Amino acid sequence: MSTFVLSVNGTDHHLDADPEMPLLWVLRDLLYLTGTKYGCGMGVCGACTVHEDGRAVRSCQVAISATKNKRYTTIEGLSADGNHPCQRAWLDEDVSQCGYCQAGMTMAAAALICETPNPGDTEIDAALSGLICRCGTYQRIRAAIHRAAASGTKA
Amino acid sequence: MKSTRRTFLRNSAIVGTGLIFAIDLRSHAEAEASVEFSPNAFIQIQTDNTVRIWVTRSEMGQGVRTTLPMMLADELDADWSQIRLEQAPTIPRFKGIRLRTSGSGSTEGTYNVMRKAGATARTMLIAAAAEKWGVEPAACRAQSGMVTHTSSGRSLSYGALAETAARQSIPENPPLKDPKDFRYIGKPMKRTDGPAIMTGRALYGLDTRISGMLQAVMKRCPYIGGRVLSFDARKTMAISGVRHVVPIKSGLATGVAVVADNTWTAMKGAEALDITWDSGPNHNFNSDIFLQEMERAVGEPGFFVRGDGDAEKALPRAARQIDAIYEFPFQAHAPLETMNCIADVRANFCEIWAPTQTPTTAQEEAAKMLGLPLDSVKVNVTLLGGGFGRRLFVDYAVEAVELSHAIHKPVQLVWTRSDDMRCGFFQPPGIVRISGGIDDQNKPLVWKQTSVGCDLSMFGFPDEKALADPRHYFNDGSPWGAFDNPYNFPHLKAEFVRRNSPVPTGPWRAVEYPAQVFARESFIDEMAYSAHQDPLDFRLELLQPGDVLAIGDQKIDRARLIGVLELAAEKAKWRDVRPQISGRDWGRGIACNVYDQDCFIAEVAEVSVGKTGHDIRVHRIVCAVDCGRVINPLGIEGQTESGITWGLTAALHGRIDFKNGAAIQGSFTDYGVIRMHEAPVIETYIMPSEHAPGGFGETAVPAVPPAVANAVFAATGKRVRRLPLTSEKLQATTLARPL
Repeated sequence: MSTFVLSVNGTDHHLDADPEMPLLWVLRDLLYLTGTKYGCGMGVCGACTVHEDGRAVRSCQVAISATKNKRYTTIEGLSADGNHPCQRAWLDEDVSQCGYCQAGMTMAAAALICETPNPGDTEIDAALSGLICRCGTYQRIRAAIHRAAASGTKA
Repeated sequence: MKSTRRTFLRNSAIVGTGLIFAIDLRSHAEAEASVEFSPNAFIQIQTDNTVRIWVTRSEMGQGVRTTLPMMLADELDADWSQIRLEQAPTIPRFKGIRLRTSGSGSTEGTYNVMRKAGATARTMLIAAAAEKWGVEPAACRAQSGMVTHTSSGRSLSYGALAETAARQSIPENPPLKDPKDFRYIGKPMKRTDGPAIMTGRALYGLDTRISGMLQAVMKRCPYIGGRVLSFDARKTMAISGVRHVVPIKSGLATGVAVVADNTWTAMKGAEALDITWDSGPNHNFNSDIFLQEMERAVGEPGFFVRGDGDAEKALPRAARQIDAIYEFPFQAHAPLETMNCIADVRANFCEIWAPTQTPTTAQEEAAKMLGLPLDSVKVNVTLLGGGFGRRLFVDYAVEAVELSHAIHKPVQLVWTRSDDMRCGFFQPPGIVRISGGIDDQNKPLVWKQTSVGCDLSMFGFPDEKALADPRHYFNDGSPWGAFDNPYNFPHLKAEFVRRNSPVPTGPWRAVEYPAQVFARESFIDEMAYSAHQDPLDFRLELLQPGDVLAIGDQKIDRARLIGVLELAAEKAKWRDVRPQISGRDWGRGIACNVYDQDCFIAEVAEVSVGKTGHDIRVHRIVCAVDCGRVINPLGIEGQTESGITWGLTAALHGRIDFKNGAAIQGSFTDYGVIRMHEAPVIETYIMPSEHAPGGFGETAVPAVPPAVANAVFAATGKRVRRLPLTSEKLQATTLARPL
């Protein structure tokens, strides 16, 4: 066990953890931020996507020991009141079905439109094809990203 | 519940599809003290105007937590913003009410119940207002959470009326609305859980936390039917944070559980276990060989499924005969939330939190295991991160109960992705052989089908007595898709040959339809080509005169199937010239199906295939549906998109293989599923209908693989009859027709 300072959603958390523990489990089991989901634990489904200094990363592939001096954002911290353009667009397009993958999808999309304010379909494919939705809401996710991009990226 | 906030629940029970409400258990004194209004198990109206609605089905993405409250709120004339949803646990309040979610049955099974529950409350609220004002109930009307006296304009909110309403007598047959007055039913309604999902507040099974809870992960026997011979936990116990190591015998894939302070430590601990497995009786099982055995069985006589005319005599006399064999492999459910369950076993009580489609089964199994009375087990249903049939079995809940019982602590047992992919239930494979005959006028004459398939082990295999009846499967209406083949052949014969493997099998989205409909709708296409007819016209001709087909206890309205075929064809511009894409062959394919006599669907797939790489792209699927009266059109669109994407995974990627008694695929790297870059444009067109509402969670799945295979044939002249339809298979397939 080692001690870490982890910055999540603007707060520094002081934690004792196994250095190998993936950020995913730190968030879920130590900080009780369960919005970030476990889907595969091997970086192939994207359900655990969070922001690391604004970039989308798989939290199951980031060990706590590698988080020093980095700032993380999870779905709980994407906006203060659920008003990020992606969150709003997701509701407007009625995207979610079971909803389990949507936190990861939203975080990936939010990072995309931050980097590429008006992404085309090819860019959406490239940014999101690493994520899985078993309910098959892809068409609505695509529409929501276009809608969010059109509404501006300000949270 | 505190006595001051006591509710006066009337005992309610539902028998069959009908309902019995309102056995009034109140004493006069209780009724006097009532401040809340709860005329049946589904509703409670509080004095602050909150309308609590209990949802009695599990939400797994199909939308029950939106549609069920819509039905109730419509008849209640509730203000949607005042509704608060509760998920029904297995408590006495819901005794006799079905809490199982399966068979696309939630809409159909609750439509009348929810409406009557709402209408009962509305009638009593109106009676309460009439009593307060000393007027006739007929002079009052309910709207948006208020009752208004029409002539004077006086009004009171439902909350203000709750106490008086609770004293009213319960109407036996409260008047239901004329559908033209529906306020919510039939109008698009966004998902009620959307805001919670989008802010990370929605709680699935894996997100549930209870006080003092530990986390557990198992190392599971990879061999079907295998078991632990011995294990060494020394390395595991040396890991800081590991609390217990417990062999688990109750579930489906037995093994050894590691209980720790958190999930990661439990995973690490499970990984470190040294286990010697007894590979059991099935270590020689290979699915390739099993599928070959199934295929050899197509020549065997089988159980009666359909027998119209005399197919055996007519077939050899047909001017032209064609013959084909289709294969549908094993499939996994692979919901994104892996199986998991929290159990808290105490001396005389057990509480469970599970993402389950069947909380009452979990309650029964836990009570049986612990020797407790049923009422001493309470099962709470969380949100489900996908269900698709997998969560109809409670193996994962029973394991958690066994574990909590062993360690005397509350524990959450988490399945890893590999556990979930390899150690659960599977969709069984199907082999279907069809022989068809066409007469000298190019008219379809004969359909002769042998379906080789498995019984679903989850339901238990039929016993000898059942199997002695040659009509056993017919009486069951099975196999779905062969039994209810809607086409009108002068000679039609279908038989079922059973072949079971040791692989645990259970319902998967659309259950028996996918394998049968893939074969049926592909073969219809093959016959149409052989008869030099357009595949749409050929189908329409085979559904004439648009009558009702009565088969077993089903009645299939062919006119409704014709309706969706024509609508899909029109919207897809079926008869338009196909576009030219450089370097690619482009084609359209059509397929249709009737789900359990209630829901009718037709799908047109547009695909292109690379001339050199043989890569298959599905560009668009146009879908027309007739599912009776629509509760939530947004829900129907969502389920169409979902079912089509599910079907596309089966069409293009899905396949589980077993080698030496163990599943090979173990994650989303080797069990491919449709992702964003492959997702086609999906268009949904809903046929307006006054028919009773049908369930729609599965309907869109079965027609997808044949629509895609037919489109690939139209594009390339190559007929792929074994799923999944990969570019390698396409490359290896010889041309069936000149381009």
